[in-house]
Amino acid sequence: MNQNGNARRRERGWRILIAGTGGQGVLTAARLLTDFFVLEGASVTSGQLHGMAQRGGSVQSSVMVDCGMSPVIPKGGADAVLGLEPVETARALPLISSQTTVFMNTAPVIPFTLDQQAVRSEVEVRYPDVSELAALVESVTSHVFAFDATRLALEAGSIKALNVVMLGFWFGSDLCPFVPEDFLDTMLKSAPASSRGVNRKAFLSGVECSKRGISNQ
Amino acid sequence: VSQLPHHALLQDRPSAKTCLLGNLAIVRGALEAGVQFFSCYPGTPSSEVGDTFALIAREADVRFEYSVNEKVAVEIAFGASLAGARSMCSMKHLGLNYAGDPVSTMPYVGVEGGMVIMSAGDPSAITSPNEQDQRHFNSFLYYPILDPATPEDALKMTRYAFELSEDTRFPVILRPTTRVCHTSGMVELGPLPERKNTIRFTKDPSRHVPIPVTARRMRKEVSERFAKAESLLAGSEFFPRSGSGKAGIIASGVAFTYVDQVVRELGLHEEIRLLRIGAYPIPKSILTEYLHSVDSVLVVEELTPFIEDRVTIAAFGIERRVPILGKNTGHFPVEFEYTPEMVEDAVRQYLHLDKRVRTEISVPELPARPPVLCPGCPHRSSFYFVRRVFGKKTVYCNDIGCYTLGYGQPLDSCDVLLCMGSSISQASGIARTTGKRTVAYIGDSTFFHSGLPPLVNAVKSNDPITVVILDNHVAAMTGFQPSPTTSADGIPTDALARHRFSIEDAVRGLGVEEVSTVDPFDEKATLEVLKKAKSAKGTNVVIMSAPCAVTEARSGARESRTAYTVEPELCNNCSLCIRVLGCPAIHIDNGTYTIDQDLCDGCALCAYVCNQDAIFPVGKDEPER
Repeated sequence: MNQNGNARRRERGWRILIAGTGGQGVLTAARLLTDFFVLEGASVTSGQLHGMAQRGGSVQSSVMVDCGMSPVIPKGGADAVLGLEPVETARALPLISSQTTVFMNTAPVIPFTLDQQAVRSEVEVRYPDVSELAALVESVTSHVFAFDATRLALEAGSIKALNVVMLGFWFGSDLCPFVPEDFLDTMLKSAPASSRGVNRKAFLSGVECSKRGISNQ
Repeated sequence: VSQLPHHALLQDRPSAKTCLLGNLAIVRGALEAGVQFFSCYPGTPSSEVGDTFALIAREADVRFEYSVNEKVAVEIAFGASLAGARSMCSMKHLGLNYAGDPVSTMPYVGVEGGMVIMSAGDPSAITSPNEQDQRHFNSFLYYPILDPATPEDALKMTRYAFELSEDTRFPVILRPTTRVCHTSGMVELGPLPERKNTIRFTKDPSRHVPIPVTARRMRKEVSERFAKAESLLAGSEFFPRSGSGKAGIIASGVAFTYVDQVVRELGLHEEIRLLRIGAYPIPKSILTEYLHSVDSVLVVEELTPFIEDRVTIAAFGIERRVPILGKNTGHFPVEFEYTPEMVEDAVRQYLHLDKRVRTEISVPELPARPPVLCPGCPHRSSFYFVRRVFGKKTVYCNDIGCYTLGYGQPLDSCDVLLCMGSSISQASGIARTTGKRTVAYIGDSTFFHSGLPPLVNAVKSNDPITVVILDNHVAAMTGFQPSPTTSADGIPTDALARHRFSIEDAVRGLGVEEVSTVDPFDEKATLEVLKKAKSAKGTNVVIMSAPCAVTEARSGARESRTAYTVEPELCNNCSLCIRVLGCPAIHIDNGTYTIDQDLCDGCALCAYVCNQDAIFPVGKDEPER
């Protein structure tokens, strides 16, 4: 990771895109980041696009720090992408440039429409190969961190903690100017007591995995 | 999705800076203005405004209701205003059309307490059947309109709108778009007021009754008051100007934030004279002064060329012939939302700067994720059985709600759709013309919203239609707001009707003789009732009553049902379950049919449908949630 590049990006603020499917906690992750940045004294704009509020649709949310008033990340303008699902990460490609760091969960959520098409057309319609999707992202940026975050969430105790694992990836990377534990404290304060243990474990495993992963690159 | 706990909206923390969702900034603005009465009908992207009031109304001492429809919401808020209260109502763009009748005469009568109508726009029809530009209510029916670009604007403008309304006696429309409603941004809080308006209805029929003789007097007053609104707006903070160059840009709404971005990134502060339009009517004095200061104008606004037309007229009026570029000149499209790229390209072209070269990244075709009825949704069962009895050739008229997802394969239960309440009247029109029995689907909230008059109309002619009322006891699509058939159990607000309505009683009261209520998960009773409805003469009604699966699970109203599983030994891969149900819990996993245990709601419809009796309930290892 290019330290000078990071410093430059921080000077003009940064733009984070969180992408996933309905029910994965994209909007919650965006809210947690926003609350934290505001407490840190930053000026935050966060946009969301989720169409019809039904389970299973594509959801994207932007969190932008010191970037002005626009809620929309321009093409190629994301500094970081947290992709909670492989196809949803690939859908965010237009916002990715060679400067973008992409954190990509490798565990897919299969859209039900694929089976619909398969039984109707008698042609095999399949979910794209995850390694091909990762390669697609890597063809745009070399800063790709792909990992089975769903497994880490399950190991921490709940698939619902997937969004927190993904936040851990970002906070554990050298792209992030904050101390992960500061975020953890803020997040746990707003979390219901019953989920604190799972969220702590999920976040820290994301942080650790990210530190290991990026230093290995 | 609040950035603060809801009660934080009620904290008196003047000058504090915080980050609020646009819709919550609107709530805060109304509270800072001392709002006393609030009514709404939910509709994306406006719903969070009403849903937030539902939570805080009691603590904030605001009279609140989810109204039965937007026309009622507007009229009841107007009634409150006539009694002196600062009142507000919220709805989406289409709701303002539904309320068009009262809305068209309210400016004549005029308000007593300040009144604000928040009507959210949806450019690109992201969650709507159309996109529309409510700014035309400004010139069409004499409404002052405020047009926020950011959550900060939304807060300030809502607060100001009540004053403007009281100063001019016009109800004021606040028109944010999806990108403002659903954006969180920094806002500065103002003080919460200590005193509220005095409530008193003062009788004065000549002031409050628009009959021809008074209406003609009121018409003259409308013009005078509208001129006053224009002059008050001229002194407002909603037309900020910056820069000193001869190249002018006029922008509004979220498109303004894209212009701001380009100006900052390219360092164009000196080259460009920027005028932001935040309210209508646009004061002529502002346009005149601005037009004399520039050699050309680029107008950047979403939807129709509303500002552009007014700038063009103003330039003509003062004989100032400068190029005015925008939608009319093909520099911007009239359809859909703008993007930052579109705005940057247009600004660069306008200033004769090189076009920015962007690496076009080609994204391969990725599987889509259309919205789908949830596992366990009672509508799926209703659609399945109705189609089984009424067959493929029957015309199915559908309506606005989750059940619109009956569109397309596999449920194929939406041949016709138009607007709230239209399914019954459209079915009448089709049945009366073709002579064939036609089915109309409508949900509980939509039925009470606008399904009653068309049902009376159908009974009047005894049209051969079967109206299937999908009663899941909630307005699910817009975020699970209560409907008139919602049970009060477990709902911690006073947002609920004091009376739980019976659709069957209502329908009988309207003169329908053949009415049945069934649980769509009771296959035998459902088939029997539907067969009878199909062979009957004239208008009949079948009420499919079963609670929304999501609200049931959330409220803990019932024990979680046992999930189902496919027995691979018995399954012959006939694909029937997938072909007719489209349940997101059923998958084909490497050629094997499986049911996702986490998603399955245990409704058992697939087990009923399966020809091979290969689907069985299983014991769950752990209780859900």
